[in-house]
Amino acid sequence: MTTADYAILPEAFADLAPLAARWSRPTENERNALRFAARAPDFAAFHDAMAPRLDALLAYLAQCPAEPVETPQRNALMLACAYAEAAPHHELYAGNSEVPFSFDARRFVPDHGDEAL
Amino acid sequence: MPMPQTAASLDHIRRTIPQIREELGTGPVSVNAIRDPAIYALEQERIFKKVWLKVATAWELPDAGDYKVKELPVADTSILIVRGKDGRIRAFHNVCTHRGNKVVPNKGFETYGRARAGVVTCRFHGWVFGTDGPLKSVPMEDAFGQLDKGCLGLREIACDEWEGFVFINFDPAPAQTLAAYLGDFGTLFGGYPYRESTTAFRYSTVLKCNWKVALYAFSEGYHVPTIHAGSLPGFRGIEHSDFKLIGPHASSTIFGAGMDTAPSTQTFAGVLHGSDNHGPRPDLLPADINPARRGDFQFEIPNIFPNLLIHLASGCGYPGLSYFTHQFWPLDHGTTLWEGINYFRPARNAAERAAQMHVNALHRNAWLEDTATMEDTFTGIMSGAIDDMQLMDQEFLIRHAALTLDSYLAGAKQ
Repeated sequence: MTTADYAILPEAFADLAPLAARWSRPTENERNALRFAARAPDFAAFHDAMAPRLDALLAYLAQCPAEPVETPQRNALMLACAYAEAAPHHELYAGNSEVPFSFDARRFVPDHGDEAL
Repeated sequence: MPMPQTAASLDHIRRTIPQIREELGTGPVSVNAIRDPAIYALEQERIFKKVWLKVATAWELPDAGDYKVKELPVADTSILIVRGKDGRIRAFHNVCTHRGNKVVPNKGFETYGRARAGVVTCRFHGWVFGTDGPLKSVPMEDAFGQLDKGCLGLREIACDEWEGFVFINFDPAPAQTLAAYLGDFGTLFGGYPYRESTTAFRYSTVLKCNWKVALYAFSEGYHVPTIHAGSLPGFRGIEHSDFKLIGPHASSTIFGAGMDTAPSTQTFAGVLHGSDNHGPRPDLLPADINPARRGDFQFEIPNIFPNLLIHLASGCGYPGLSYFTHQFWPLDHGTTLWEGINYFRPARNAAERAAQMHVNALHRNAWLEDTATMEDTFTGIMSGAIDDMQLMDQEFLIRHAALTLDSYLAGAKQ
């Protein structure tokens, strides 16, 4: 898979393809790596594009299985999960890529870190 | 087996704040048990090798042959927890009776796998053990001259389940059954469908602090408005009350009047709150938890001696979160393996899945805020600058745990 493959989205969300290529990754460890490398303007741009579409994206995903097999469905879930991780960094943490005043997130090991969605 | 819900109330475990102060005191509590490295050997012998310890859940090992290897330096051993062909979960020292090699190799502190054909085989010389313990076969057995295979099964460890949580006891003859050890805790928390929440997100880290520093940091609500100002902003009042003392265990309730939820969190939360499966279910709480069924209930926070917290929320706190657990495993006096696990009911569609990922990320972030204090606290205590902790009412779980620890270290009969 290349990042371009992650950008194949359902037609109604095709305009979000550049965001999907930039942010969507199948595993928590990969999403975290992108998040740690992002800066405030990156989070702001992701938020500003996604926030108005989140309701519609979740309504679409509500019609998809929890573990989608079809590529567009799977990528739509991947994009929602990327935003699920990134949104607090704009809305709560003032664009900081780390949780402020926190333990080193790189020392926190998720058991599921390398598992794909 | 679910614990029977007794008709009798648990009023005898409830305490008012004046009662807590009367019973546990209000004075400073010594930090010596945290600071003194010599205490650790006593904790190993008198606590961790004597009392019941949670090591797994039944739903982690759903099928015959499923096993988990868990490294437990606090008991100087590696254990094998395995579901036998008869459906029973047993625990063994993961030690080959030939010459002591690990029977099942591990990677990290926890390793999962499945035994084929009801046996595990030591990779060193091929000794084969049944998943129920007996030594089944030995290559070149005749060359041993004499070998009493009947006595050379895996060394079994006492193992029992409460509500699907698997506990072990290293004492060859435990002083109490698990049910007796949990006592009224088993009733207080019994009856909730824990086993339905099989979607688990486990995080762990090795902290450079004594295990009790980490345990105590997660044992009170006093810190929430300050430490969590980033991830849980704008708290409109938090109440930590309904204190309960249960032998070596204790419990209490966190109520909250809400907070300034971020817009995206509101949208993700809406998916879970709108679902019968994930929405707040105060009706599922055991009768003695939040007995008034207050709408601002967040979760019940107990301390199950010595090293387990099960925060029961039933979807009432973090959106969709059924419950979460913390465990604090000493690796040595100044090093601790912390494990935090979020449990959700399985998502039925992709929107629920994404919403769970958001809630899980928020809670993980709050844990990152919690763990930020622990190594600093330990460094501070080790400096010798303070001899005592000053504890307020909402920190009674710490006071109670410290008193319980002292009593076990003194060798008092529990």
